[in-house]
Amino acid sequence: MSGGYRQQPGGSGQTTRKDGKRVAGKQSFPPPGSGGSRPHMSPRDLDFIPESVGGKEEQPAGSHIHDRARTGTTVGKEIPLVDSNAKVTGQAWYGDDVRLPNEIIGKILRSPHHYARIKSIDTSRVEALPGVLAVATGEDSPHRFGVLPVTKDEHAMAVEKVRHVGDLVACVAAVDEATALEALNLFDIEWEVLEPVFDPKKGLEDSDEPIHWRGKYHLSKTNVQKRVFQEFGDRSLVDKPHAESHGKWSMAGVHHGFTEPHAVVAHWGPNGRLQLYTPQQVPHYTHRALSTVLDVPMHQINVIRTFVGGGFGGKSDPFPHEMCAAILARKAGRPVRITFDREEVYWINRGRHPSHIEVKMTADEEARISGFDIDALIDGGGFASFGHVTSYYNGVLATAPYELGSFHYTGARVWTNKPASGAMRGHGAVNTRCAVEVGLDEMAETMQVDPIDLRLANLLPPHSRTISGFRITSNGMREALEKVREGSNWDEKFRQLPLGKGIGIGCGFFISGSGLPIHWDPNRFPHATVHIQVDMDGGVTVHTGAADIGQGSTTAVAQVVSEVLALPIEMVHVRSHESDTSPVDLGSYSSRVTFMNANAAIRAALEIREQLLNAAWDILGYHPDNLVLNDRRIYYKHDPAIGVSYLKALHKAQEDKGSLIASGAYRSPPMGGVHKGAAAGLAPAYSFSAYVAEVDVDVETGMIRCTDVWAAHDCGKALNPMAVKGQIIGSCHMGLGQVLSEKMVYGRTGHLQNANLLDYKIPSVHEMPHVEPIIIESCDPEGPFGAKEAGEGPLLPILPAVVNAVYDAIGIRLRDLPLTPDVVFKGIEKTLKDSKIDDPLDLPSPRLTHSSLQPTLVARAQEHKLRDKARQRTEDTSPYVNGVLFGFDPTIPLEDQVEGWRTATEPDPEQLAELGLAGRAWLKKEQREMGGEN
Amino acid sequence: MLMPPFVLHNPTTVEEACSIAGSLMEKGEDFDWVAGGTDLLPNYKWHLNPKPHVISLARIEGVNTLSLHEIGCMARLADLTVENGIHPLIVEAASKVASSLIRRNATLGGNLCLDTRCFWYNQGEDWRRSIDWCHKADCGTGADCRVIPNQNTLCVATYQGDIAPTLMVLDADVHLIGPSGLRTMPLQEFYQLDGMKKNVLEKGEFLLKITISEASAARTGSYQKLRVRDTWDFPEAGVAASWISGDATSLKIATTALESIPRCHPDEVAAVLETDWDGMNSVKALAAAVRKSVKPVNNTSLPPRYRKSMVRVLTKRAVEKMLE
Repeated sequence: MSGGYRQQPGGSGQTTRKDGKRVAGKQSFPPPGSGGSRPHMSPRDLDFIPESVGGKEEQPAGSHIHDRARTGTTVGKEIPLVDSNAKVTGQAWYGDDVRLPNEIIGKILRSPHHYARIKSIDTSRVEALPGVLAVATGEDSPHRFGVLPVTKDEHAMAVEKVRHVGDLVACVAAVDEATALEALNLFDIEWEVLEPVFDPKKGLEDSDEPIHWRGKYHLSKTNVQKRVFQEFGDRSLVDKPHAESHGKWSMAGVHHGFTEPHAVVAHWGPNGRLQLYTPQQVPHYTHRALSTVLDVPMHQINVIRTFVGGGFGGKSDPFPHEMCAAILARKAGRPVRITFDREEVYWINRGRHPSHIEVKMTADEEARISGFDIDALIDGGGFASFGHVTSYYNGVLATAPYELGSFHYTGARVWTNKPASGAMRGHGAVNTRCAVEVGLDEMAETMQVDPIDLRLANLLPPHSRTISGFRITSNGMREALEKVREGSNWDEKFRQLPLGKGIGIGCGFFISGSGLPIHWDPNRFPHATVHIQVDMDGGVTVHTGAADIGQGSTTAVAQVVSEVLALPIEMVHVRSHESDTSPVDLGSYSSRVTFMNANAAIRAALEIREQLLNAAWDILGYHPDNLVLNDRRIYYKHDPAIGVSYLKALHKAQEDKGSLIASGAYRSPPMGGVHKGAAAGLAPAYSFSAYVAEVDVDVETGMIRCTDVWAAHDCGKALNPMAVKGQIIGSCHMGLGQVLSEKMVYGRTGHLQNANLLDYKIPSVHEMPHVEPIIIESCDPEGPFGAKEAGEGPLLPILPAVVNAVYDAIGIRLRDLPLTPDVVFKGIEKTLKDSKIDDPLDLPSPRLTHSSLQPTLVARAQEHKLRDKARQRTEDTSPYVNGVLFGFDPTIPLEDQVEGWRTATEPDPEQLAELGLAGRAWLKKEQREMGGEN
Repeated sequence: MLMPPFVLHNPTTVEEACSIAGSLMEKGEDFDWVAGGTDLLPNYKWHLNPKPHVISLARIEGVNTLSLHEIGCMARLADLTVENGIHPLIVEAASKVASSLIRRNATLGGNLCLDTRCFWYNQGEDWRRSIDWCHKADCGTGADCRVIPNQNTLCVATYQGDIAPTLMVLDADVHLIGPSGLRTMPLQEFYQLDGMKKNVLEKGEFLLKITISEASAARTGSYQKLRVRDTWDFPEAGVAASWISGDATSLKIATTALESIPRCHPDEVAAVLETDWDGMNSVKALAAAVRKSVKPVNNTSLPPRYRKSMVRVLTKRAVEKMLE
């Protein structure tokens, strides 16, 4: 025992000197002092430490790999987000808050045409205007960029053609906004107006002038950007269905409606390096795109992410205006700032795709789901954006949480002359999920069973594989369904409420981090890296590239570091704004940040912890295995009085080498199948959710008011329950907007008619129901302390829950989203006419009498509950793949057991005639097969 | 969004306001009146027919009177939402206007003189350029109406104020003042069927106050508003009904947000009253008649067919509530 000290049990003798300082070794005993500035540390919070390491916290899935890193400091506690003070005191600096000396204002000239060729641009009058310092056009930016490497189809400003009203044509920087605006009127442009396409169905047909041209891969002369075909399982199962549902949906495009409009400031420093300030979800992608467009190596660019005033996917593309600002700043030699009007925000869009979705589903006589048959035609607008991925997600994210006999998906994304669609909270999964969940409700109705029981009896268990080959690990779906059933008093209400009142169920399934880092090989490079530095003052600086867009990723990282090192969260400082100092991080999309970044942070923190414990070992003489970290103190496990302060251990560890530095990284394990598109939808973990919504429908006006929502979401482990609840409630709000009132309205001339927040109807506080957030913790084996995503998945179930509740209220299935009062009223009018009823108040309410299938389902659900519990707690580790419910052996490849079990990514020639709307894209040939461009 | 520059005039008396208006007219300078600014200034930011001069009524003394019989043009809507002696029907309608934030600035005069709205018109400058402008803000191009093409005589932009119909069924009079003096007329004569002219105000004139007679103040009634959200939204349709309790012949109905002007429906009421008042059956007949008489066009959030259908429901509910 060298250098350690033993504190005396308290009370006896003087504990402080005359000068007020404490006498060493004379502190009162319980609880042991930190030895730092605070004389007493708080006792370990055993309620937040897992049972497996001596605490009281029950873990539903047994022990977790990170249990030994738990100290009971912050994980699982409701902690205000670390950046909330900055936000509520107005000190957070958003895009437009950046003010650089000498800056000038940039403005963008936008296309007045839907589709036109630029024959010439004459800028001489613009340049002659006093006060104009730089002008740029498409000629200044010949390089293409795009968020996905496979579909780089954007330019900083239009080259050759404009593709929608509001597309960027040119830009100008001037001494002030008024001059810049005046300059926009002085461009002389000669246009050749082309025939625009607005209807995505038309986009499937050949046109004289496709919006983009993909060379030999172009599909005939259509406007199809991407087509997908996927088929798994045994299609013969669907031939003789016991019950079926067939729904054709039309879903309007919606926008994120984030608070902060896009804004950017570009500044070329004295050494010719570019500093770009932008509210970005994916600063790294912007970094790459800037390098390409500007022809400058990446190391000569510093992307500074400002605070982001909401993103929801709408700030996750590298944007042309960012390129414009950089180009103008380079030309003018002064910093250039561009801030969007709300109208411009809508024109850059990247919101959810307007979609035509058709879902057919069938169930067999045991009420097993024998097949999903999904067709999704999505309207991409003028550019690709994330569309390649969206095209897959619309299908593949419907392959769970249910066990399926077969799955068939055809999808197509087409270009139209509208603002580009892209990624939005719940990317690609939301619309199909709504259609699928409503379909299940309809099938339950046909089979006369309770829709919750139908779901409970068809769930995939934890540690299984979906029909498309996704690896399911933790799975809290069953618990979520049970909790909302209980919370909402479902059994007393469903199909029993009076006309106009209804209750409905919906489930959700979403990825927790895309398994594929788009720009590199996941087997060689990590998804996320975090650096930690601890200097002599004891403060911990964490460097991460994760973009906090309000979801709380900075807080999550600070929390896990604080947890591992047992330090108060105030001692952890996260630096995440600059690409110069942050390790590369892919950014905030696909709900990857907490999962991947916190995992990386834990690894880095564990390294620091090891160095600290080794130093304490040197001082105390006890092996680190026997040492405990607690609030700023390290002590001997069996006698807390023997210990050393955190600072003392830290200084010991710093001897000879200075500040402690560690780097941690996260890489997802190899997963998934090998078929084409197998990587789409692949994730190291998946979140599950179930909502019950209760609505009031005014049958005379068609007005829907959602009154209550019980929202259960399986986030693995709530690192910060307050943040999780915030995400659940926020998701509810956003989803309610899509299902009830929000839509991007394109009028008869193809113009976006409501590019403002008055006419684009985001629900207000008056429309917000009471939401009861219910957190389900399934403890994911791969997640940081068991956590999974909670940012996007919770949005999914609210749509079908409301649509199903509306059916319960008025007995009418509506499949045009949003359910604005006129849509509902039209449905009611039609029903009145069909059933010859005069007064809507006389509409019949749907009622349910259980069939003989109901007890079968209840029994099966009960059986599965035991199965799931055993698997969750890894008491049962036998393999389970989708298909076991249908009697197949999970240890033998299914294609060897069942004739006709297949995995196909292209339709067979005989299937071609039967494909759905989007599937018709498969009738077209690629140019290379037509002998076209090579 | 950058507001175009203008000269702001701040008269402190009605006379001064009129003389500023008069002298601007003499110089041939165009101008707008501004009260709370919640309608005019957003429009200016969108470059919707901005003028080089704006005369503010905000500093004029004594034009914010508030009583059962008289409400001044500068009375703030927020003050109309509390029952401080004004007619409860006005309180009902005022509390349904926009949001509480907007009501703190917005005024009665501004609400009555609200600019008509249309989704081809209430858009930014770039947007309107992309449709080659419209009749109401043609920027010197003589552009056609986009709602009903091939007629560039009448603007069909919709009047979406909430308070006018309630004042109409309360038989309110408006008092207009300008360089040529004061004139008074019933509110229903104030509006003029054209989305651009909107009302009878002559250049240089502004709405000074409204008055309600003793007899009309005894009326009771209800205002029903159709909107998607319970705040912010302009009415997609609105129906006000009032009567002198127990006297069916005194029934009055007015609608708003369906045409370029708010309108009273005396003929429809009279037709129903030709036969004896028969409770709910009469209400139904009346609702159907009012519905039939309105002609909404496709220029607001909800489709015109739906808005028209809702007039029946709103009328029914307004009368039912009135009868309570």
